[in-house]
Amino acid sequence: MEKIKQNALVKKVGFNRIVLVCVMLLMYLAFGGLTGGSFFGLSRITNTLNYAYFLGFLSLGVTFVIATGGIDFSIGPVMFCCALVSGYSMITYGVPMVLSLIMSVLIGVLFGVFNGYLVAYWKVPPFIVSMASMNIAKGIAAVFTKTQSVSWPQSATSDGWYRNFVSMNGFPVGLIVFLAVAVVCAIVLNQTKWGRYILCLGSNEEAVRLSGVNVKKWKMLAYVICGTLVGIASIYYVAAFTTVQPGYGDQYNNEAIAGCVMGGTSMAGGLASISGTVIGVFIISLLQQGILALGFTKEYQYIITGLIVIAAVYSDVSARRRKN
Amino acid sequence: MGDIILTMKDIDKSFPGVHALDHVNLEIRKGEVLALMGENGAGKSTLMKVLTGIYKKDSGVITYEGKEVEFKNTREAQDAGIIIVHQELNMLGHLSVAQNLFIGREFKKGIRIDDKKMNEEAKKLFDRLNVDIDPAETMANLTVGKQQMCEIAKAVSFDAKVIIFDEPSAALTESEIEEMFKIIRDLKKRDIAMVYISHRMDEIKVITDRVTVMRDGTYVGTLITKESTKEDIINMMVGRVIYEDPKTQSAVPKNAPVVLKVEHLKAGKMVQDVSFELRKGEILGFSGLMGAGRTETARALFGADPKESGNIYVNGTKVVINSPQDAVKYGIGYLSEDRKRYGIVVQKTVAENTTMASMKNFMNGIFINKKKEKNVAQKYVEALATKTPDVDQLVVNLSGGNQQKVVIAKWLTRDCDILIFDEPTRGIDVGAKNEIYKLMNRLVAEGKSIIMISSEMTEILRMSDRIVVMCEGKKTGELDISEAKQENIMNLATREIE
Repeated sequence: MEKIKQNALVKKVGFNRIVLVCVMLLMYLAFGGLTGGSFFGLSRITNTLNYAYFLGFLSLGVTFVIATGGIDFSIGPVMFCCALVSGYSMITYGVPMVLSLIMSVLIGVLFGVFNGYLVAYWKVPPFIVSMASMNIAKGIAAVFTKTQSVSWPQSATSDGWYRNFVSMNGFPVGLIVFLAVAVVCAIVLNQTKWGRYILCLGSNEEAVRLSGVNVKKWKMLAYVICGTLVGIASIYYVAAFTTVQPGYGDQYNNEAIAGCVMGGTSMAGGLASISGTVIGVFIISLLQQGILALGFTKEYQYIITGLIVIAAVYSDVSARRRKN
Repeated sequence: MGDIILTMKDIDKSFPGVHALDHVNLEIRKGEVLALMGENGAGKSTLMKVLTGIYKKDSGVITYEGKEVEFKNTREAQDAGIIIVHQELNMLGHLSVAQNLFIGREFKKGIRIDDKKMNEEAKKLFDRLNVDIDPAETMANLTVGKQQMCEIAKAVSFDAKVIIFDEPSAALTESEIEEMFKIIRDLKKRDIAMVYISHRMDEIKVITDRVTVMRDGTYVGTLITKESTKEDIINMMVGRVIYEDPKTQSAVPKNAPVVLKVEHLKAGKMVQDVSFELRKGEILGFSGLMGAGRTETARALFGADPKESGNIYVNGTKVVINSPQDAVKYGIGYLSEDRKRYGIVVQKTVAENTTMASMKNFMNGIFINKKKEKNVAQKYVEALATKTPDVDQLVVNLSGGNQQKVVIAKWLTRDCDILIFDEPTRGIDVGAKNEIYKLMNRLVAEGKSIIMISSEMTEILRMSDRIVVMCEGKKTGELDISEAKQENIMNLATREIE
């Protein structure tokens, strides 16, 4: 039971997170240097971030699921399904903007309930459930939109106000909302019964069950929280990009999971860090922007994100093996 | 009786903190069945594992067919002709019987597996043993008894000279056992030596020639089965001096109210019609040998496993317990024998584990009142003398005894009146053991009631006010502590099955 002497800051923030922040800064400087300075500047940063918030919400959501020891590969396609179904309803059936936004979140919640119920109550492995609902989400979106892409209103139109969620005249609304949601997530995970049980059952479900806790309920809750955040992510996706195409979305699974795992959330469940996820997501999007700024194509991002997931999971697994 | 084929002399083996085998001797002859008997933890399995190379011995000599041997793994032992037939069958259910028999050494035709040849060879083997099994049948379709025959046939097919049966009859019916005995008698005629590990006294009498008894990792002696009685064997098994004072009479008043009554509890093969009562302030010991169904009874009662039927009354009121949630609601707490798997969440702190079963008392609106949580955890750390630097320590860093105390604290925080202690001191060192005993006595003095499942005879005799003995999923007896002796408990625990 030796106690390692730690300085107060390291103890409070955690060694991993400090390392991650350093990595982020170094990457930023490196990209800045390599691109001859065009990477620097505040507007450049906020501009980069505008296209990263949706990923942040996905990553926050999947953090809860991974904390239970589960996994969700449906987040990206479900996000697209939310944006497509509600966007198509708005444009084709004249559903008002406010309702469309609410609808987006609700569709996310429904998928969360669906996934969570199957995993917790029917005990279908999360891998299978989320793979299946990924295809279901894609299918629903394609059928509903008759495989046509959906363009949400542009900023200049009367309904374009929703884009202010990301940035209002250059003011980073998105950043504030994202950080606020992250703080709420951190509080839920660390200060409430919900989070306590989610983490505990991720660590040892049977011991929690034998303590007389309704583990099914709490496990399902993690997926519902995830679904809700996926719904919010869909709003931030369209607010940044406006156009959504059916049949896609899978690539964001990897990126969101990478951000989460890099931030110190263990794939085995039981250990999760919201602040880690936030930093992890920033690193992922910084990396992507850097790769693009250096003149590589988008496909290189996929390769690098794939490798990052493997590296992050490997370091988690080997850290645990060393502990045993 | 034939010549000696195998001797084990002065075998010594220690694990950290346990002297598992203390200069044990064993001698097996060709064409005989040797019973190996002893209480749980006497060292029977360890000795067989040393023989077959699963464990490496610290000292001693194994002589096999006149030569000194030391097998590095079961494969080497197998090649030399020493084979274990395990209690749990190592069969692949979806493969055919013949495929199972020849797994790892399939007959081949080019690169293809020659199923026809395998079926023929299997048929020959079964004919030789007078067993009626279709080699092409899928393994999962066979009864457990037939699967056991396949295991034995497989052992024979390795050209075994020594076969070790580790509780082979545990899952078999009477007629299946009879059939297995036929094969064993047949193998005897072929001069194969056999070691038969079993707790069933009647089988020992029927099938074995000699009985070797072990106790606490030591060799006690060997008897000729024909010339000895069941009592002789039991006396050798338990003939240990109890150095801790056993209770001589129950501390519970005769008129103490019944807090828990279980009637006709049934849950599969391991819990067959179990009934008992628990009184306020009582420690009710559950004794029996490994696999007697005690843990299964506790888990069914607690709602951890499904039950088929049975009535449960808490404080005189009939209750329905379908899940641990229900059990906890009625004030029943369960401390599992396997703390790491079923008791604690190792990656969480002492405080978090302490409040796990009673979160709702620690809520401040939607927030957890961490201050209150820590205070309560601290209170129990002091009350139970848990050794931990502070309540924020992760439980994984605590020793076994202190982890156990955290689990106890969890149930005390929940204010459970009925506590089920399943092997409360397993894997705990002697000092911590005494502390747990003291704590249990204090709990019953405070009016809690305890069911204590234990495989340690000394623990049962020292702690219990009353003792329920189980054997093969049935309750075989109930003794007041004033009339309980090691001998009569062991008698009930190894009761012959009608």
